[in-house]
Amino acid sequence: MITVTDITSAYGRKQILRGVSFTAQRGECIGIVGANGCGKSTLLSVLAGTLKPSTGQVLYYGRTAWSDTDGGRMRCEREVIRKMTGYVPQENPLIPELSVYDNLRLWYPDKKILRQELEQGFLHLLGIGEFCRKQVSKLSGGMKKRVSIGIAMAGMPPVILMDEPSAALDLLCKEDIRRYLQVYLERKGTVVITTHEESELALCDKLYVMKNGQLGQVDRGLRGEALTARM
Amino acid sequence: MKYRICYLYMEIRKTFRIMPRMALQAVLLMTVMGLVVAVGAGSMKSDPLAVSVDIAVAVEEDNVMTRMALRYVENMESVSRFCHFQQVTKEEGSRMLEKGQVAAVILLPEQLVEGIMNGTNPAVTICFPKNAGLETMLFRELTRAGEGLLRVAQAQIYGAGDTAAKYGLSESISQMEAEIDSYNLAFALDRLALFETEDVSVFGSLSVIQFYLASGIVLFLLLAGMALYPIVQREPAAFGRQMERQGVGMIWQCFCQWFCGLLCMGLLTAMVWAVITTALGFMPDSLVWQLFPGYPEGASVGLRIGIAALMLITVTTFLYMLYSLAGSRTGGVLFIFLLSVVMVYLSGGLVPSVFLPKLMQAAGEWLPTTYLIRAAGAFVTGRGETLGGQCLAVLCLYTAVCGAAACYMRCRIRGDA
Repeated sequence: MITVTDITSAYGRKQILRGVSFTAQRGECIGIVGANGCGKSTLLSVLAGTLKPSTGQVLYYGRTAWSDTDGGRMRCEREVIRKMTGYVPQENPLIPELSVYDNLRLWYPDKKILRQELEQGFLHLLGIGEFCRKQVSKLSGGMKKRVSIGIAMAGMPPVILMDEPSAALDLLCKEDIRRYLQVYLERKGTVVITTHEESELALCDKLYVMKNGQLGQVDRGLRGEALTARM
Repeated sequence: MKYRICYLYMEIRKTFRIMPRMALQAVLLMTVMGLVVAVGAGSMKSDPLAVSVDIAVAVEEDNVMTRMALRYVENMESVSRFCHFQQVTKEEGSRMLEKGQVAAVILLPEQLVEGIMNGTNPAVTICFPKNAGLETMLFRELTRAGEGLLRVAQAQIYGAGDTAAKYGLSESISQMEAEIDSYNLAFALDRLALFETEDVSVFGSLSVIQFYLASGIVLFLLLAGMALYPIVQREPAAFGRQMERQGVGMIWQCFCQWFCGLLCMGLLTAMVWAVITTALGFMPDSLVWQLFPGYPEGASVGLRIGIAALMLITVTTFLYMLYSLAGSRTGGVLFIFLLSVVMVYLSGGLVPSVFLPKLMQAAGEWLPTTYLIRAAGAFVTGRGETLGGQCLAVLCLYTAVCGAAACYMRCRIRGDA
């Protein structure tokens, strides 16, 4: 369960998020769409704990991640965020000079667990085992994205935050990612995803449009020009 | 904590993966610098004075005494370095002077030595060409100096003779003259014997070879940093943020990268040092001692390791700051190359700073390369006193300031992203 209440955020004087609130249940997929620069990535950064909001509150399964203190400063519970969320940013958080296995080791410090995941866990499902020994700089965009998702899945967090995971990928990769998301949702994971892909939007239980830093819920079946008109 | 250790471990793994490529680049750099040094050493071996003055000597009466006197003058230390005498006839001498083949013609009169001995002092005529060149001017100055020397010697002998005669000691005159001659020969003609020699060099307490070796070490370390980019580059912002989520803060990330940079520079230096040590084994002892006094005595080994560590820490931190400032690989490499050469030049590493304009000298005093060259000098000589407390303090200060600036820039850029 995710409860986001009245989140605001600003870069200098520019207000990016203005009182963003929404909730997501266990096993739900929340889709966020909006024009470029409207604040989608900022919202996900706040939820992932990499950006401090100005005000508001974020709860994961009833545990506080961000909250206002009495002094007006934001308090972050990093351990809660780390344990409860996995984050797939737009850029891949990988060291190009290292192998896929070495990169995964950063997020799976326990070798046994990593081996298990590669053999029969989510990493196996992502097909990472096949190119595990390859150097990251020699991977295709789709392979890198799969590794990024695998990294976000370290420790199997109950919430996954995905920032346009299919951007600049071919159709086959997009379909793969959609399939992984479906499996994750079937396992009762919660997904918050920013996307423009119809295949991913089809997975969403709730659809939000972000405009001028504000979030508005729309019909989940809304597509094409009708959706664009709301942005 | 385990994530922090894991991150450090992975950065070290990355360093070792990149090492072979860096080692190759270091070998290439060393080869280029070695060639430059070899060419420089070759030019230093040749006579530093390119001026050679050809003098024609026309002897009107060729006798043993005149030839002895001429040989004596030829072998005087100040003359023998510049002048090359050749005995000719008066006509030949004039012809050679007209053609510009000689810088001057000396005409030695008859009974020259006898005249000097009996006090008639026949004049020696020296002919210079109309359009005197550098060689002629040089010889003229030498002649004037010699003339002054002879005047003093004559004044001594006449003064002693007249005084002895006045006080009725005429029988002692020959003995006194002999003693005055011996003093003149011992001291006046060998002028250096009168003084204690003290070498004052623009290179300080270092020899020319040691000085250029020291500045070469600093330049090598800085230029080797051009290959350091893959290790100390800024990781993608997304990676930094993800690591922060795992509890690996930016300061620790900076430290790990800096540490790996230091490790890499240390290994490269050790490799180069191993090559040099092997090469020293094949060199004659005299040359080895000229380069590294005291080598391979154990007393200075600890000091040298300490100085090397300090230099490596300072250089790595400085390079880390430059890469933080530059951002991209191309920018960083260009930045390091230009800055290194300019800084070493301003610090007097290429041309001694006393020959630079005052403004450049003043600027050089503020640069870390100035103190790095001093430290490298102490490394080469194995003498700690040439390093000095001030140099040590400045290097530590530079390290702290560069480190803090690099961390600040990386944290700020991460924050902006």
